[in-house]
Amino acid sequence: MSTPAIKSQPVYAELEWDRAGTHHILFVAAEDAALAQRLLSNPPAGTITLIHLGSASAEARSCWSQGLPDSALYLETHSLAEALEVLRDALYVAQMGTRIYLAGPEDAVWQASRVADGFGVGRDEVRYAQLGSKARPVFCVHCRTITRGVHTNIVSCSGCGRSLFVRDHFSRRLGAYMGFQIDAEVPGEVPAAEVVYP
Amino acid sequence: MSSASLNVEIRRIRELAPGIREFSLSRTDGEDFPVYSGGSHIVLSLPLGERPHRNPYSLLGDPTVRDTWRVAVRKQEESRGGSRWLHEQAREGMRIDISAPVNLFPLIRTGRRHILVAGGIGITPILSQARELARLGADFEVHYAYRGPEYGVFSDELEALAPGRVHHYVQSRREQIEFGSLLAGRPLGTHFYICGPAGMVAASMNAGKSLGWPESHLHSEQFLAPTGGEPFDVKLALSGKAFTVPSDLSLLEAIEQQGVDAPYLCRGGACGQCELEVLGAEGELIHHDLYLSADERASGKKIMPCVSRLKGGCLTLNL
Repeated sequence: MSTPAIKSQPVYAELEWDRAGTHHILFVAAEDAALAQRLLSNPPAGTITLIHLGSASAEARSCWSQGLPDSALYLETHSLAEALEVLRDALYVAQMGTRIYLAGPEDAVWQASRVADGFGVGRDEVRYAQLGSKARPVFCVHCRTITRGVHTNIVSCSGCGRSLFVRDHFSRRLGAYMGFQIDAEVPGEVPAAEVVYP
Repeated sequence: MSSASLNVEIRRIRELAPGIREFSLSRTDGEDFPVYSGGSHIVLSLPLGERPHRNPYSLLGDPTVRDTWRVAVRKQEESRGGSRWLHEQAREGMRIDISAPVNLFPLIRTGRRHILVAGGIGITPILSQARELARLGADFEVHYAYRGPEYGVFSDELEALAPGRVHHYVQSRREQIEFGSLLAGRPLGTHFYICGPAGMVAASMNAGKSLGWPESHLHSEQFLAPTGGEPFDVKLALSGKAFTVPSDLSLLEAIEQQGVDAPYLCRGGACGQCELEVLGAEGELIHHDLYLSADERASGKKIMPCVSRLKGGCLTLNL
């Protein structure tokens, strides 16, 4: 875990249970067998709700469904939209004492975070983990479109087509990194894009 | 270093209950007061003898009423004179100085529901918070505990603000708030605010924590009155002054009496603004504040001069 050059860039600590909580909602959008094993082999007191985002075609059982305590509620979903809807339903009936854990690629994690924000939860009730793809959601500061799944340092905006440089400057509210036009000074002078967010 | 002051006239004094008086204040320059947020307090400078005595009081009126501010004061029997002056000497038409409002007890606007709890005179910041929540159309409820029926001094005002959402607990009828059940099963996004006696605040915080409430949703305010104590000596390293703090003055007041400008806001051990660095202490630091952490207290490097003292010889401060 390195210290980011820009303060707004999220830093993810090792995911641990917050044992002060009385109900735990775990939202996972990527496989990580080691993390699943570590968390689920030492569960906290209180009930666990696990919302899993699997791929539509996955046949193998998710690592997150194995070793869950019998009292846990496991909810399988097959699209991010569905997973966010299930999260919203879970938060709607949740009570004070709930802790929320959001784990997966940043795009999914921060869209889920925004759902949680809508329920008035504080920063000390949510924990984050970055798992799976490092692809970035990129907010175009010119046309305000968010281009998702960006692996390269320069990307063509899905809204206005401008060539955007992907910054480390991150907005928690938008759940995206800022992208600005790279050839604003000399139109057409766009360096070759490199894959930097695998 | 202290906040800007306003000169006001005491326009009206109302006796609300035995030992509780309400003061309505207006500016002597005829201007409107600034707008304040629910939970704010002001510091009154009271002319006790040759030195002003400064006490914090919560603003309880409607923040949108700009020509009058109201505070309610309970007479503290153990008082060093501030509340006694307001009860025995203050008259309508008198002029005093007050500070600009400061809010150490603000509402969290992103909350989905708000539970407000007042114990006795702790109703004052709760009342302005309830008013703000009513104006915002927010989901809230008020739990108001007091000694006997005659002490529920703002019951009518509260009922008018939040009909059906005010719960009364009268101690003389053996009614008591059970914080375990009050805080259990509350929806995610609920915020809890309490102002009242220390024991009541501690009981509610403990109940919240054991139910898994995070600190960011548990809010409390208490103001402490400086208790006085044994005299002790002080050296100010930067200004080169040396003097004795008498038993009836706080350390902060004694510093001010020397003509040294020290920072302060609440003067009640709550805000942390007056923190001073301790360079040396021959004796034991007696911390009374609600601000320093246990680690900071143990370090012996900091003191809040508004309420804390030294027991023993000489205290050297970086001031």
